[in-house]
Amino acid sequence: MTEQVGRDVWRHEAPHVLTALLRRSRDFEACEDAVQEALLAAARQWPSEGRPDDPRAWLIRVASRRLIDEQRRRGADAAREQHVAGRVSAADLVAPSAEDEGDRPVGDDTLALLLLCAHPALSDASRVALTLRAVAGLSTAQIAAVFLVPEATMAQRVSRAKATIRATGARLQPPTLDDLPTRLHAVRHVLHLTFTAGHTAATGPHLLDLDLAAEAIRLTERLHRVLPDDTETAGLLALMLLTHARAGARLDSHGDLVPLDEQDRTRWDGELIARGIHLVEAALPVGDVGPFQLQAAIAAVHAEAVTAADTDWLQITMLYRMLDRAAPSPTVSLNLAVAVAMAHGPHAGLAVLAPLLDRDDQRRNHRLHAAHAHLLELAGEPDAARAAYALAARLTQSLPEQRYLNRRSTR
Amino acid sequence: MKFVILIHSNPQPWGHPTGDFVAENLALPQDQRDRMGAEFDALLTEIHAKGELVVAEALAEPRSSTLYRWQDGKALATDGPYAETKEQFAGFFMIDVQDRARAEEIAARFAGPGETIELRPAMWPGADEQ
Repeated sequence: MTEQVGRDVWRHEAPHVLTALLRRSRDFEACEDAVQEALLAAARQWPSEGRPDDPRAWLIRVASRRLIDEQRRRGADAAREQHVAGRVSAADLVAPSAEDEGDRPVGDDTLALLLLCAHPALSDASRVALTLRAVAGLSTAQIAAVFLVPEATMAQRVSRAKATIRATGARLQPPTLDDLPTRLHAVRHVLHLTFTAGHTAATGPHLLDLDLAAEAIRLTERLHRVLPDDTETAGLLALMLLTHARAGARLDSHGDLVPLDEQDRTRWDGELIARGIHLVEAALPVGDVGPFQLQAAIAAVHAEAVTAADTDWLQITMLYRMLDRAAPSPTVSLNLAVAVAMAHGPHAGLAVLAPLLDRDDQRRNHRLHAAHAHLLELAGEPDAARAAYALAARLTQSLPEQRYLNRRSTR
Repeated sequence: MKFVILIHSNPQPWGHPTGDFVAENLALPQDQRDRMGAEFDALLTEIHAKGELVVAEALAEPRSSTLYRWQDGKALATDGPYAETKEQFAGFFMIDVQDRARAEEIAARFAGPGETIELRPAMWPGADEQ
């Protein structure tokens, strides 16, 4: 067994181990710390001593021991904490179970923890960090590395997130059926943020020992398995698969950005595309069409075009108009403008873009100026296009994007 | 998103926190200075607790620097300061925050009499999905 396989096994067990502990103790923070220690112990011991026959039972045993040790160490404090009336309720999210290691459906633990980690009281950064710790089983050091911050900074975010959950614990209730859609919306948002953070990182898996985009896909797969009828979750998973399919083609050998229309489409991952298209085609006809399904549908149209010139821009325009109604944002508007330009000509696109260019809150949006530049270029206004590319290059904080925009502004 | 908050100041003599050595700040009534000091401490506690503070350094006297300029194919060292301006680069805080609005909110709270605060975005090696 390779170390990689071992790592995936213990990481996969993390949410089950955590929920098992949460049924015994109401202290989310202490439980989560104990699980991390058990995962570290597995990381140290399994590669040399071999994987236990029942990895989950092994992890629960080790984590429980750590939890008890910690509670003893904290002595009276911990004892008091256990008895504060109405405390925490991380555990309340988890259905009571006679057997900790039991035969409950795989998904329940994952869903309960995803809901907890996407708690509305937390900032987005904290939600992502906590999800990666508690559900994906990553270490603080790994999370810090992918977000390019010192471990101490990330540790602070994780510990604040756990403290916030503790503090709000008394009011935290298991989601009701009415409440679930809102809470699920937050979970999908966190998973999408996690995916985007991984997908947009230039450092990539060859520099880090972790592919954050793949982690996000793994977590979303689990959520989809628990809630196969939730079409927005299916849409999110499809969007991730279709986007991830292009990962191998979006940067050149120097790490510079390759725009969609210049990507080598033979390097797109056909398996991921097929799965993504299948998911979105199954989701779209059912129930309300949400933003992730629409974005996935747009990604599917791009994926189906053998060459950039084959792209069905009319269909993409229609989908962006639907997205603009379902979830309006400046990003959607500028993507719509580009699609309109491709379908109906650059001047039609520029007309869609014009209101955005007048908005004061958009003046620093480099993507808006980059899109403007692109449309001006198509409209045969090279001087104005160069000026807009230069403005976009000044505004972006992305190094590869700045190199790309600077090249466009000087050619 | 990462930003640096750069402190440009003219403490006389050079010292930290710079506000304690800046004439305009020293001219304020003591109770006002105490209140501003307490507000600044609260800000630092807040950004640390939220995991927004990445790193911070106070810099030594500008004249203690050494400058290296390329001359005759090699580095030529001279004594600082780098800039002959009244306000000198005195220290920096790197923050990692949700968006520019949050960075602006934090940076504005660094401002004090007789000093200039510069908020500057940091570049990152990744790239947005187009």
